[in-house]
Amino acid sequence: MDTLSSLADGFAVALTFQNIGLALIGCFLGTIMGALPGLGPSNGVAILIPLAFTLGLGPTPALILLTSVYYGAMYGGRISSILLNIPGDEPAMMTCLDGYPMAQKGRAGEALALSGIASFVGAFFATWGLVLLAPQLVKVALLFGPAEYFALFTLAFATLGGISASNQAKSAFAAALGLGLAMVGVDTQTGVPRFTFGEVHLYDGIDFLVAIVGLFALSEVFVFLEHRGSAAEEAAKPKMDIGKIVPSWGLIRYCTPTMLRTTVLGFIAGVLPGAGASLGSFISYSMEKKLVDPKGETFGKGDPRGVAAPEAGNNAAAGGALVPMLALGVPGSGTTAVLLAVLLSLNITPGPLLFSQNPDVVWGLIAALFIGNFMLLAMNIPMVGLFVRVLMVPPRILMPIVAMVSFVGIYGISGSSFDLLVMVGFGILGWVLRKLDVPLVPVILGTLLGNEMEVNMRRAVTINDGDYSILVGSPLAIALWTIAVVGFVLPIFYGKVLKRKMKNPSEEGSLKD
Amino acid sequence: MSDRIFGGIGLLIALIFAWQATIIQESFLSDAVGPKTFPLIIAAVLGISSLYFLFKPDPEPTWPTLGRFAEIFFAALVMIAYAELLPEVGFLIATAVASTYLTWRLGTGPLQSVIVGIATSVGIYVVFKLILGLSLASGPLGF
Amino acid sequence: MTITIGRAMLAAVTLAVAPFAVQAQDFIPENPECIAPANPGGGWDFTCRQVGKSLQDEGIINSTMQVVNLSGGGGGVAFAEVVNKRADDNDLIVAASSATATRLAQNAFPGNTMDQVRWLGSIGADYGVIAVAADSEYADLPALMAKMKEDPKAISIGGGSAVGGWDHLKVLIAAQKAGIEDVRGVKYIAFAGGGEAVTQLLAGSLQAFTGDLSEAKGFVESGDIKVLAVLAPERLEGEFADIPTAREQGIDAIGANWRGFYAGGDMSDAAYDYWVNAIGTLYASDAWKTVMENNGLAPLDLQGAEFEAFVQESVDSITALSKEIGIIQ
Repeated sequence: MDTLSSLADGFAVALTFQNIGLALIGCFLGTIMGALPGLGPSNGVAILIPLAFTLGLGPTPALILLTSVYYGAMYGGRISSILLNIPGDEPAMMTCLDGYPMAQKGRAGEALALSGIASFVGAFFATWGLVLLAPQLVKVALLFGPAEYFALFTLAFATLGGISASNQAKSAFAAALGLGLAMVGVDTQTGVPRFTFGEVHLYDGIDFLVAIVGLFALSEVFVFLEHRGSAAEEAAKPKMDIGKIVPSWGLIRYCTPTMLRTTVLGFIAGVLPGAGASLGSFISYSMEKKLVDPKGETFGKGDPRGVAAPEAGNNAAAGGALVPMLALGVPGSGTTAVLLAVLLSLNITPGPLLFSQNPDVVWGLIAALFIGNFMLLAMNIPMVGLFVRVLMVPPRILMPIVAMVSFVGIYGISGSSFDLLVMVGFGILGWVLRKLDVPLVPVILGTLLGNEMEVNMRRAVTINDGDYSILVGSPLAIALWTIAVVGFVLPIFYGKVLKRKMKNPSEEGSLKD
Repeated sequence: MSDRIFGGIGLLIALIFAWQATIIQESFLSDAVGPKTFPLIIAAVLGISSLYFLFKPDPEPTWPTLGRFAEIFFAALVMIAYAELLPEVGFLIATAVASTYLTWRLGTGPLQSVIVGIATSVGIYVVFKLILGLSLASGPLGF
Repeated sequence: MTITIGRAMLAAVTLAVAPFAVQAQDFIPENPECIAPANPGGGWDFTCRQVGKSLQDEGIINSTMQVVNLSGGGGGVAFAEVVNKRADDNDLIVAASSATATRLAQNAFPGNTMDQVRWLGSIGADYGVIAVAADSEYADLPALMAKMKEDPKAISIGGGSAVGGWDHLKVLIAAQKAGIEDVRGVKYIAFAGGGEAVTQLLAGSLQAFTGDLSEAKGFVESGDIKVLAVLAPERLEGEFADIPTAREQGIDAIGANWRGFYAGGDMSDAAYDYWVNAIGTLYASDAWKTVMENNGLAPLDLQGAEFEAFVQESVDSITALSKEIGIIQ
C-alpha cells in the first residue's frame, strides 16, 4: 500500500500542464524517431538531451520528456518494420518477420493497430512490474554472474535457430558472421586491437546501428533496384492496400495469451543488465513460435501472433530495463545508458538509494510512464491511417528518402564518413545474404551480443583461474544450458520431419526475412 | 551452385578469420582465456556451417541480369562517393545529388527526380539540423 | 543573480591574469564547439555538455556551445582529427581525461603525442577507490593487500576499464606500493563500466572493486559496499571525509581520474588565453562547485601551463608503470 500511495504522489507530480505537454511532445518525437531507420531509442534520447537542457527543465520534467521519447521510440520502431520491412530500431527487427508479410497480404492496418495494442500491453504491465517489483527484482539480477550471462546469451542463439527454420546451417553461419563482426575492435579485456588491420576507425568496433541500417535499409534499396519495373514489383503492388484499421475483437482476444506470455518474458529479459530490449523481443518471438507454432506453419508468413509477440516483448523489456538502471545504476540497454548519463548530469545518482532519496523523481517518472503509455496508445491507433498512407508514396521516391535518412542518422551521431562506408558495405552484404536465403536477424544478434557473450565467458573463466567448468557451475547456469540445448536440438528433429512433409519450393529470399 | 560457391567463400572467410585470430598481438598482461580463443570458436562455427552448404546446397536463387548487377554496382558507387564527399561539399548538396540519382534510377523521370532529390535534402536538413539540432556536415558554403 | 556573480568572477580572474588580459579581450569565439570523442552518454560527452551548459549559464560564452560527438579509437579518431585537420581552429575545445593520458602514454593513438595539442585546463578530478562488499572479511587496505600477496588467486578485483586501463593501473600502483613484487599476478577482471563491476561485487563474483569514487558513490551511501581506501593525497571534504586514504594506511598510492580539455596545436595565443580563462572562471564559480559536488568530482584546479605540466607528468608516470609491468615495450 505504501507503494500505491507513493505512486499517487507521483501522479500528482506528473499531472501538471507542463509535464503532460512534455510527455505529448516526447511521445510524438519518439514515435517518429523510432520509425526512422537509423535513429533508435538510444540516439533519439541522446539527441533530445540538449533540448531538455536548453529548455532549462528540472530533473522530473526533463526525465518525463526523455522517457516519453524512449517509450515512443519503442512504439515507433514497429512502423517501418511492418510497412517497409526495415526495422526502425534494433528491437523491432523481429516485428518484420510477420509484420511485413501481413502488410503484403493487405493487412497493414491491422498489423499496425495490433502491434500498437501489444506494445501497450507490454509497456503497461512492465511499468506495473517496475512499480511493484523493482526492489525485489534487483536480487534476481544479482543471481547472474558472468557464467550465467554466458549461458543466457548462448540460449538466445540456440532458440534463434527456430526463427529461420528453413536451414539451420544458414542460421548458424549468420550468427557466426555476426559474432565475428563483433570481434572487430579493441578487445575490452586486454586492450589489444583485433581484426582492425591497423585502421583506427575500427578500434571501437563496428557500431551495430551501422550494421542494422546497412543490412536492412540499404539492402532494401538494392533489392528495389534489382526488381524495378519487373513482374515481382508489379505483383507486390496491388496487395499493398491498407486493409482494416481496427482489428476485430476476435483477433485481439486471439492474441491476448501471446501478449501476456511475452510480456513476462520480455520484462525478465529487460531486467537483466546487458540483455535489453533486443533480447526481449528475440526471446519472446522464438519462444512463442516454439509454443504455438512448433511446426513453423504460420509464423513468418504473417501470423498476427508473430506481430504481437515481439512488440509486447520489446516494450515490456524497455520497462524492465529501467529496473536495474534506477535501482542499481546499471544500464540494462543502450538507451538506459543514455538515460543514466542524463540522471547524473541532472545531479541525481541512481542506485540503491534513489527510491528513498529522490522519491519525487522516481514516482513522477513512473507516473509519467503510465501517462505516456496511454498517450501513445491513443496516438498510435488513430495515426495508423496516417502511417499506412506512407505506403501510398511509391517506392521509387520513398526508398531514396529512407536511404538518405539512414545516412544522416548514422553521420549525425558519429560524425564519421568511415561509418557510412561500412554501412554501404553492409548494404551489399545484406543484399547478397538475402539472395542466398541467409537470415539477417542472427547477424545482428551476433554483432549485438558478441562482445558481451565473449567477455562474460572470459570473466567467468578468469575468476575461476582458467578452469572452464565454472560455465556450468551453478544450478541457474545448468538450467539455462539445458533450455538452450533442448531449444537447439528439437527443431532439428522435427525440422527434418517437416521438410519431408511439405517440400514446398523456397520463395524469393528477399521477401522472406 | 550458388550455395556451393557461397560455402567455399564462407570456408575461406573462416580460414582467414582463424588466421587473423592467431596473429592477434597478445600483450604481456592477459586474462586466463586471452583474446584469441573466442574468435577461434567462431571461426570453427563459420567453417562447419560453410562445409554444410558445400555438400548440401539449397535450390538456386534467381540472380539478376548483368544490367541489374551494374545498376546495383553503380548505386553502391554513388553511396560510397556520397560518404566520401559529404564532409567536403556539405550536407545539402551531397544529399540532393545522391538522392536525385537514386530516385532517377528507381524509375522516376529526370526532372521529377531532381525536384524530389532537392526536396528530400532540404526536408531532412530542416528536421534533423534545424529541429533536432544534429550536427550535419557543413561544406564550404556553410550548409 | 548567478549571471552577475559569474561576471564578477570573470572580472576577478581577468585581473588576476592581467598580463594576458588585453590579449584575452582580443578573442571571442563565434561558434564555440566542443568535441566529445565518444558517443553520447559517456563521460566525455557529459564533460562537453555540462561545461557547455554551465559556460553559457554563467555568461562566460555568449552563444550555445555546439557539442559534436566524434567517436572512435578510444578518443584516437578525435585526437587525429584535431591534430591533422583542425589544429588552428580557435573555436574548438575537446574533452579529455586520464583515459586520454593513459592511451597517449601507451601509444594507443598511433603516431600521436601529447605535445601536438595545447592543454587548456582541468575541471575536476575523480579520485580512485578500492572497495569491497559490506560483509567482506577485509577491514582495511593493508589486509586486502596482504591477502593478495599471500594468495593472488584468492582475490578477483573488478573495474570498469580494460586490462592495462586506468582502473587496472590504479590497483597495480597500490599493489606495488604495498610491496607486492609481481603485480602481474593480480587477478583483474575487466567490465564495461564501474557500475557493472560493483553489481558483480554484490553478486559475489568478485572480492574487490577498483574504480572512481563517483561510480561507487550510490553504493557507499546505501551501505552495500565498504570503501577500504581513497587514492587521494589527503582526505576528501564533505560526506566522504571518513573514508581513509591509502597513504594514511601506509600505502602511498594516488590515482586521480582528471577531466579537462585540450585544443588544436596551432590555436592562437589570444584564443588559448581566452579558453584558459573561461575554464578557470567556470571552475571558480559557485555553480560549478555544485556540479562537482553532485557528480562526486574532487578539486583539481589547474589551467594553462600548469595543466600542461600536470598532463605531461601523468603521461610520463603511466609510461613508466606500463613499461614496468610489461604492457608496452
